[in-house]
Amino acid sequence: MERHKKILEYSLSSLSRRKYKNLSIIVVYTLMVAFMASILFMTHSFKEEALSVFTNAPDLIVQKVTGGRHDLIPVDYIQFIEKIPGVKSATPRYWGYYYDATTDGTYTIIGLTENREELKLVRGAMPASGGECAIGRGIMEARMAYIGGEILFFDSKREVLTLSIAGIFEAESDLLTNDLIVMRKEDSLRLLGIPDNKATDLAVEVYNETEVNTIARKITFNLHGTRPITKNEILRTYDSLFNWRAGMIFAVFIGPLAAFCILVWDKATGLSAEERKEIGILKAIGWDSSDILEQKLYEGAAISLTSFLTGIILAYIHIYFFDASFLAPALKGWSVLFPSYRLMPQINLYHIFSMFFLIVVPYTAVTIIPSWKVSVTDPDVVMR
Amino acid sequence: MDTIIKTTGISKIYNPGMPDEMRALSDINIEIGREEIALLKGPSGSGKTTLLSLIGCMSRPSEGSIFINGKDVAGLPERFLAEIRRKTFGFIFQHFNLIRGLSALENIMLPLYPTNIKISEIRERTETIIMDFGLLDKKKTLVERLSGGEQQRTAIARALIGNPDIILADEPTAHLDTKLSEELLEILFALNKKGKTIIIATHDPFVYGRDMIGRIIEMRDGTIQEVTGSS
Repeated sequence: MERHKKILEYSLSSLSRRKYKNLSIIVVYTLMVAFMASILFMTHSFKEEALSVFTNAPDLIVQKVTGGRHDLIPVDYIQFIEKIPGVKSATPRYWGYYYDATTDGTYTIIGLTENREELKLVRGAMPASGGECAIGRGIMEARMAYIGGEILFFDSKREVLTLSIAGIFEAESDLLTNDLIVMRKEDSLRLLGIPDNKATDLAVEVYNETEVNTIARKITFNLHGTRPITKNEILRTYDSLFNWRAGMIFAVFIGPLAAFCILVWDKATGLSAEERKEIGILKAIGWDSSDILEQKLYEGAAISLTSFLTGIILAYIHIYFFDASFLAPALKGWSVLFPSYRLMPQINLYHIFSMFFLIVVPYTAVTIIPSWKVSVTDPDVVMR
Repeated sequence: MDTIIKTTGISKIYNPGMPDEMRALSDINIEIGREEIALLKGPSGSGKTTLLSLIGCMSRPSEGSIFINGKDVAGLPERFLAEIRRKTFGFIFQHFNLIRGLSALENIMLPLYPTNIKISEIRERTETIIMDFGLLDKKKTLVERLSGGEQQRTAIARALIGNPDIILADEPTAHLDTKLSEELLEILFALNKKGKTIIIATHDPFVYGRDMIGRIIEMRDGTIQEVTGSS
């Protein structure tokens, strides 16, 4: 133990002796880790938020497609769907988007037919009657709105619709509620221009999840022009969407990333004449090859761990305190998230460990190789 | 006087089988007695440093055997050689070979780092030796800021910290003025009086002809030309 302690002490002093070289490696290394961790943190947060949002989503959503585009669905389709064995319920959903020219934002409108459990209010109440609404934090900030205040819209006939604000949604469900305005069904029909006998889509609940695909097939077969979407399909779509986006960013940054790697490799693996001589001297005065390797391992690990932890912390701060200001345009770019969106901290240990084993371990190993080559050479040869 | 070092038929070939193969030593047979001062004498390129390296277990002979305290070390694995280097030998190099960026104290302590001796004990031992060599006020000074004489004494102190039986000095006076050379030889002779075996490789006439030197091994072109003064 005493021996290891002294070798560790020597390693740390050795690092401080070459502080400029080591600092430059740490800076580059930290930036690389911070960049990769930022992407992973951000995509993971998106996925987790999407997952939490869709936990309460219906088992099946039935849309109508006309000419390849989403069309309004007749509400009387419900009568057929509810008769399919295994269907617990079928309810119409009223939703759409509203472009607000004053804030240059696109808001999501939902018309309530019943209270939705996944929507949690930070304060106030859900709209209980026509003329009331609850809004997301993003809209509250963009329109400088407050509970008890009023919010103005132009409906599909360009007539003014005024709603009083009854509640504001809390931040935990930002992905869903940030740009959301919830109102009673009749107000939403007017705002979105939906006729009384139509809905945006239908939400279908089933008794047995394993029967969802069979029920979906029956709906498609019997109700022409419908497109059933299962909850799993939605989750998979989100998953691939964010994976794809993360992959795109990695691909775009592959050039600079490769340059970083080469720089780190070059800095880390090249032993200077002085370093070679030092190894020779240490061997000549009685250090064993394993002592030299242990010392170099400590050096590599110290640089690696410092950079890794700093990189992770920087990424965390970047994503969760500065709203991913460097990456947001590439990873978000998602109109419904406008006006602004704050990610909730989500750490995936699997990602952290993966990065650790994909970055720290290879780096430490790579830095040891040149030292190992020198350390197994006779000190006489190294010092000549 | 019993023999502490014995070589039988050793030779050293660098880059064997390559176009730049070079035979540095051929069929070297010498014996050096315990507590003796031996001088390896010869011009540059005669093989003195190579022989010193082989004796000090810093490289392995291509042929032959080297006995240290009666034990053949030529075929020992690296970890044993490192231990022998640490416990048996103290090296004084031509350019001192101190590690830049470390203080005199840290340089002297270095050979004992890969041991299980407590750091407090190493520090104590180093303080004593530093005092003996008059380096107390320079112990925290980085070695590159020490004068030539101070660097030389630091190098000797480092060679002695493990209390070795044998001191190997390679061209120790090559970069020293007359005064410092004299000082160095006095230190080496004093160490010999304390029971250390000293082997000096040099082509500096300043060192030749000293009464304390018990054996002179004259070398040329990788071979021994003459051995004088053996007991």
